Amino acid sequence: MIPDEIASTIISPWAYSDGKKVDDAFTWLRREMPLEQAQPEGFDPFWVVTRHADILEVERQNDLFHNGDRSAVLTTIEADKQVRAMMGGSPHLVRSLVQMDNPDHFNYRKLTQGAFLPQNLKALEARIREIARAAVNRMAEMGGRCDFARDVAFLYPLHVVMEVIGVPESDEPRMLKLTQELFGSQDPDLNRSGAEVTDAKAGVDTVQSVVLDFMTYFNAMTDDRRANPRNDLASIIANGKINGEPLGYLEAMSYYIIAATAGHDTTSSTTAGAFWALAENPEQFRKVKENPALIAGLIEESIRWVTPVKHFMRTATADAELAGKKIAKGDWLMLSYPSGNRDEAVFKDPFKFDVTRSPNKHVAFGYGAHICLGQHLARMEMRVLWEELFARLESFELDGEPKSMVANFVCGPKAVPVRYKMN
Amino acid sequence: MSGEPFKVWQCRTCGYIYDEAAGDPVEGLAPGTRWSEIPADWICPMCGTPKADFDMIEL
Repeated sequence: MIPDEIASTIISPWAYSDGKKVDDAFTWLRREMPLEQAQPEGFDPFWVVTRHADILEVERQNDLFHNGDRSAVLTTIEADKQVRAMMGGSPHLVRSLVQMDNPDHFNYRKLTQGAFLPQNLKALEARIREIARAAVNRMAEMGGRCDFARDVAFLYPLHVVMEVIGVPESDEPRMLKLTQELFGSQDPDLNRSGAEVTDAKAGVDTVQSVVLDFMTYFNAMTDDRRANPRNDLASIIANGKINGEPLGYLEAMSYYIIAATAGHDTTSSTTAGAFWALAENPEQFRKVKENPALIAGLIEESIRWVTPVKHFMRTATADAELAGKKIAKGDWLMLSYPSGNRDEAVFKDPFKFDVTRSPNKHVAFGYGAHICLGQHLARMEMRVLWEELFARLESFELDGEPKSMVANFVCGPKAVPVRYKMN
Repeated sequence: MSGEPFKVWQCRTCGYIYDEAAGDPVEGLAPGTRWSEIPADWICPMCGTPKADFDMIEL
């Protein structure tokens, strides 16, 4: 069993906010207990999968390790009970691709998969470039100082993804706030209560109230797109059929919610984290500035560096062996992506930010059937932003201490104050 | 065979593109490596999908 101190660190939202604490804990685990069970107070026991190769092995076998049988996100015993009581026995407040297994996962993913293929995203590039230029122009008008997270990184992917979904620009602030309240539900700076969450019931109630607000919004959008279909993702979800039937209410609402939250928040975190890392490693910025062909390397390295999705849970559907350990049917496993992306067996100098790193086979998008649907869009958004920004950015540096969100699921920087010179 | 135009294959799961002309040197596939020359047990380098679950596409 993993020692209590380590177990409590790797689930602590504050440890992820600190960064180093969680990195140190996972470094210790990879060396001493790369696949072992943890049972922090208030939680059912779960295996902690820390090595890159073991994460791939679990993700590859999506029939043996299910997403939906238990909560797909680490949750306390009390919170799990409360969700099941609310949801008729289901451990999930929403039912998106993340909570599905086959055959539903395949069928629901197929509905929108085509829209996110690289060849089909090319049609969006010109419009994404306009949005990126506007973001860079706004940054230039801010007089050489800004919070890059708040003023650029949160807003640009939000605008792109909301256009893809079909959410009007006037509703973007609402979508951003709801997203931050959802993923930042443990962060007093971002959550709905404005206070530290210490009670499981209050925590679940808060998350559920955010989910209900999303559902109210997207239910109206479904009605609109059924009556007036457009060329947007909302119309695909609203009018889509699975086995000849419209999507169920929970599944449709969950589809919108995952697109409207993870669809931009993860890219925002990675963009903000990249800028933070470049500010701390100015020689890396010079390399990319002088050779824009390195932007592709910057993107992969910043996705590895930030790893905005900190974990997903899987449940074994049968007895299995993994890395020499006996996993029993029904066991719960935490896939630690930040740990996999710092695995010394795969990445040389894993704690060095290196835009020339090659190969860079990070697991930040996952692996196997559940690999991130929006990964190609995320890469395109970042490429276009960096192309536009670096053409005008001459120099920059930190202008205060950056801060990261207090969260243990989906998170990244929440403030990256910078001073800069642009042409 | 060598006179045939190069083709492009795509993973059905993640959208990874294998272009015979470019190959994938990071994966040990030199430019010009034909799809038929890649072993049957090869898997998608991005997501692990088997070779059999790739489609030939026009770009």
